[in-house]
Formats: sequence, C-alpha cells, structure tokens
Amino acid sequence: MNELRRILDVARGVAAAPALVPKLVASTGLSEQGVRLALAEHLELDATDAELEALHAAVTPASRVHVILSANVFVGALRALVLARAASSRVTVRPSRREPVFATALVEALGDPAFTLSDEEPDEGELHVYGRDETIAAIRARTSLVVRAHGAGMGVAYVPAAADLRVTADRVAADVVPFDQRGCLSPRIVFVEGEPEAFATALAEALAARELLVPRGALTPAERAELARWADSVAFAGSLRRGAAWAVAVAGPSALPPPGRHVLVTRWAGARTLEPIARHLVAVGAPTLDAARVVAPPHARISLLGEMQKPRLDGPVDRRYLAVQHA
Amino acid sequence: MATCIHVGESDALHARARAFVTAFERGAPMPESFDALASDLARFQGKHVSGYARLAAARGVDLASVRRAIDAPAVPTDAFKLARVSAFPEEQTKVTFRTSGTTVGQRGEHHFRTTATYDCGAVAFAKAVLLAELQAPLPVLVVGPSPAEMPDSSLTHMIELFVRTFGLPATAAQTYFVQGEVIDLAAFDERVARLLAEGREGALVLGTSFAFVHLLDALGEDTFRLPSGSRVMQTGGFKGRSREVDSDVLRRDIARAFDLDEADVRSEYGMTELSSQFYDLPTPAGRVYVEPPWARVVPVDPETLAPVAAGDVGIARIEDLANVDSAFAIVTADRVRRVEGGFQLLGRLPGAAPRGCSIAIDELLA
Repeated sequence: MNELRRILDVARGVAAAPALVPKLVASTGLSEQGVRLALAEHLELDATDAELEALHAAVTPASRVHVILSANVFVGALRALVLARAASSRVTVRPSRREPVFATALVEALGDPAFTLSDEEPDEGELHVYGRDETIAAIRARTSLVVRAHGAGMGVAYVPAAADLRVTADRVAADVVPFDQRGCLSPRIVFVEGEPEAFATALAEALAARELLVPRGALTPAERAELARWADSVAFAGSLRRGAAWAVAVAGPSALPPPGRHVLVTRWAGARTLEPIARHLVAVGAPTLDAARVVAPPHARISLLGEMQKPRLDGPVDRRYLAVQHA
Repeated sequence: MATCIHVGESDALHARARAFVTAFERGAPMPESFDALASDLARFQGKHVSGYARLAAARGVDLASVRRAIDAPAVPTDAFKLARVSAFPEEQTKVTFRTSGTTVGQRGEHHFRTTATYDCGAVAFAKAVLLAELQAPLPVLVVGPSPAEMPDSSLTHMIELFVRTFGLPATAAQTYFVQGEVIDLAAFDERVARLLAEGREGALVLGTSFAFVHLLDALGEDTFRLPSGSRVMQTGGFKGRSREVDSDVLRRDIARAFDLDEADVRSEYGMTELSSQFYDLPTPAGRVYVEPPWARVVPVDPETLAPVAAGDVGIARIEDLANVDSAFAIVTADRVRRVEGGFQLLGRLPGAAPRGCSIAIDELLA
C-alpha cells in the first residue's frame, strides 16, 4: 500500500509545480483556470486506506503492466499509474501523444525503477489501455497479451421532480465545467422528471456564471464544426440556449451534444430511458445517492450532483471494466 | 379550411418545381430563377415547418427578406432523426422514407404528402444522365433489395420507379436478385444469359455498393459479360454490410467483372433527406457529379456554414427545389469540392479527435 501512497504524494508535488500549468494549458486546450481547477479539485490525492485497499482488490496481479494512455483527461494518468502499480511492480507507460505532460512529469518525478516511460509494448504481462473503442480494438487485434480496456464513455445527470432547480442546475454545471466536459464522468445529458425547459434555463444561467470563473478553453476546428451541426439540429428539433462558451438544448434523448460544455436536457421517460445508452454510461449523478441508484445501470458510478468529477480512488473510474472482468 | 389553403400553397410550389423538370426535359429555359423558387420555399417552410422557423430565428435569419437560396439556413441531416421535418400534418403523410438505423441513434425520416415531384424529377434526370443514349424500355436488373424487402427506403423507391418507368415487362424474380442480403447469382446469370440469347442490347443494372462487393467477391476473377451497351448504376455506402471499397476501385472492378467500359459504370449520390439525385460522369478532369437544374450542391465551411472559396473543399449544403414539403436546403457531413461541370465527392467529414475519454458522437452512433 505504501507504494501507492507514495505515488499520490509525488503527484501532489508535481501538481504544485508552477511550471506545469502553462504546459498543461498548451497540451490540453483547457484555460489556465481550467487547468488549475483540475489540479486543485479533481486530482484524486486524498484516498483513504480503505479506498486504496478497494483499488488493490479491483486489479489482477500481473508480471508486468504496460499502460497506454491514448485518450483520457490529464489527471486520469494518476489513477492509471496507481492501478498499474497495484497490479505489478514492473510498469511501463506510454503517455498520450496529444497530452503527454502530466503523465510524463509524474513518471519522471516518481524516480521509481518500477516505472518506465516507453512506447514499446512488452511481450509479457498485461496492457492497460485508455482510449477509444477503435483504439482498444486495434490493440487487441495485434497483441496476444491480456488487454484491460478503459474505453470512452459518458455521464448523465438525473433530476427528479422534487429537486430545487437552481441548486441542482448549479451542481450540474459544477460537473460540466471541469476538463471542459471531456471526461467520461462528465454529464452530457440531463434527464429531468417533468418539464425540461425551466431546468434548461437554470442550467444556462449556471454555466454562464461558471464561465466567468473558469473560462472554457479553445475548441479545435473539428470540435467547432461538430458544435455548429449539433446546435442547428437541436435548434430545429427543440430549443437552444447558447453563450459564447456553453450551450444547453432541450430536445429528444438522441441529440447527444459534442463535449465542450454543451448539455442536452431531456425529459425522463421512465426506467427504460437509459437503455439505449446504458453500455456507454460510466457515471450517473443525482441530487441524492438513492435517486442515482434507482436510475443507474449496475456498472455505472453513482454520485451526488456536483461530485461527479470527484470519484474516489477506489478502483478504475470506468466500472464497466470491472463488470467485464468479474463476469 | 386552413389545411386546404396550406395544401394549395404546397401544390403551387410543387407545380413550380415540376416546371423546372418539364423545362429540362424540353431543353427549354428554366421557368424562373432558382433563387426565386428557393426563397418562396424558405418562406413556406418557415411558416409550416416549426423547426425551420426556430432554426432561422436561432441563426438570426429573417426568412421574409430572403432573396437568394444561400441566405436561407440549411437543415442538418441530423435534424431528420430528431424531429418531424414536414410542412404537413402526420395524417396527410403518404409515404415515409427512413435512413438506415444504428444501435443508439434514431432513424432519420423524410415524409412525403406526394411523391409526384420526386418521381418526375428522378425519372427525367436519370433518363438524361444515367440512361443518356440508351433507349427505354430496356431490361432492368437490380442487384439490391426490392421494395418488398425495404419498403421505407428512398433508394428502393427510386429503383422501383426506374424499373417501372424504364424496364421491359418482367417479373420480380427476373428483376430483383438480392433477398435477405443474399445475391441469387444463379438467377442473375440466367437472366443475363437469356438476354444475351435474345440478342438484347443495353441492359441497365442498378445496385447498392455493398451488394456489388458481394457479387464481385462471388465472381472472383471471372468475368460476367452483360449485353453490349449495358450500363451500371451503383449507389449507397457499405455501413458494415460488406468490406469497404474505394469508389474508384469499385467502379473499376465492376467494369472489369461485367466487361464494360468504366464510363458505363455510374455512381449515384442521393440521400433519404433529398428528393433529387446526382450522377457522376467521366470528364477530362476526372469523375464529376452533375446536378439537375432544380438542385445544387454548395461546399460550405463546416463551422460557419458559409460557402468556401471556389475550388476549396467544404461540406455539402444541398439545395433541392423538389424538397417542397420538408427542407429545401440541407447540410450534410459529406465533403465536396466544386469543379468544372459539377462537384466531387470526397468522403465524410471525420469527427473531432477526442481530447478526453468522453465518448465521441460518431463512436456512440457506430
């Protein structure tokens, strides 16, 4: 357990280094405030012993682990390294080509012979792959090693009829803003019991207020193109509230927004509402854990709204992985 | 009473759209400018398609002041999956065409109160460009699903229309050679053999890309000679129903397999959300898709949706005057470039590269 605790301690030091922030701004596309928010509130440094024990119990020991970080939010590298170290004392890490900064800094700061940066896949042990389904499938196709997949996914929020709209909307906004909604825990859809328009208005106001505190980073041209297409589609199909760096639509549940602080608010239509997207759900947030538990598929992390982006360090973020492993 | 006035308004616009087709058939000048009818369609659709009024408002466009087609907002094809894109109430729907489905996404729907304008435009343009010098009636063979198998497909509607309009009398078994995604190669062979024995010239073979791929795979290196003067139309994508083949390669392989000149293998570009079609023709500059006078393709910037500079690549904004009761202007995710005489189709706009683990839209819809 000490070796895991040490990774957290080293990560705390890495996160405090002033030189890291501008590098992360450049590599992640987040604003400076967005990077600082992520480091201050969403880097999971304060795990309890019980949580680390749970994490340890969630992994399968391996002679060697090669971690491939293809696409995840930058703080996700910490959990990936902790999981790999819990599984093996020989860990090689291939940081994401697009966002290598934090993972590289962490491995270098660890100065631990258990960790090595490497692009080369080993010929023994296991691969822990964080990326899109097609990336995972391509790796599975070319390797004979066991692949522990951590694929792309998303979060949703559930707002029961009795919820206070303004308070709930502010908490949903608190879950949307970190990482500019690019994390797999980030809510992309809010399911509202009853009339969704009033909640959409409240959420738009909450996102506008948070934009003043934590501006969104720049979108790429391809992201802006996806936004343009989605915005016109939902303007046609329902309603759209839009600011310079956020958008809230009310439309049917198929109108999934692209990441970048864009939220679809749609009517909750009963227990079957989540079925079409259930296999992609990593997290479900609600005003109470009981409410989240009622609507969430068994594999999804549940949390209070406002806490969706603060998962405890008790195992993989994506519990679909565990469901498959233990099936 | 309001519905009667509404239908009358729609009928008048349909008549104006069909006047384009009639003029084209006669080789006469168009009866009015493209922009004039497009502007009236924009106003009509703004009045009767509630989503279009909302879209125009969201984009800050006053439809009453639109004088050019390009100034009216285009409806993303995704909207056909999310809402009813229709200027008439559900009870007046005569036929609904649907896009192919995905595991998560809904199927897009295009509703028609009448297919008269669709049909006359499709026939006139196919006769001029697809058949060209071929004389109908002629044998028509379909390497694709029949209307009975896919009754809600705009493609099978169009193919059935061509069979009915251009084809010699034949039974369904002599015409359609794909059932349940299985090609009846023996029946196809028998029909072709009979046509050859009868000394027929100029058969028309219509088919989907994935069906042709299966047919080519079944043929291997063999050649399957069609009657001389025959022509092949291939259309549609693959959508996981066969291996993917580059369109130039597929055209070349079809030409080889059927012992045809590549010029006699023509690609059709159409979609559920449209009422008009485009065909590629060989030109000195390569294969170019041509448009009928009542439809045009404008490459636009994927973010601003403004037309790109001449010769630049953009996504296809398609203005189709035959889309009277739905959306006369749509915007797709297909990349296109204007060239002399038409446009080139350059594949789909790729989705944004993920910068986190949140699932991408194209991944969710895969």
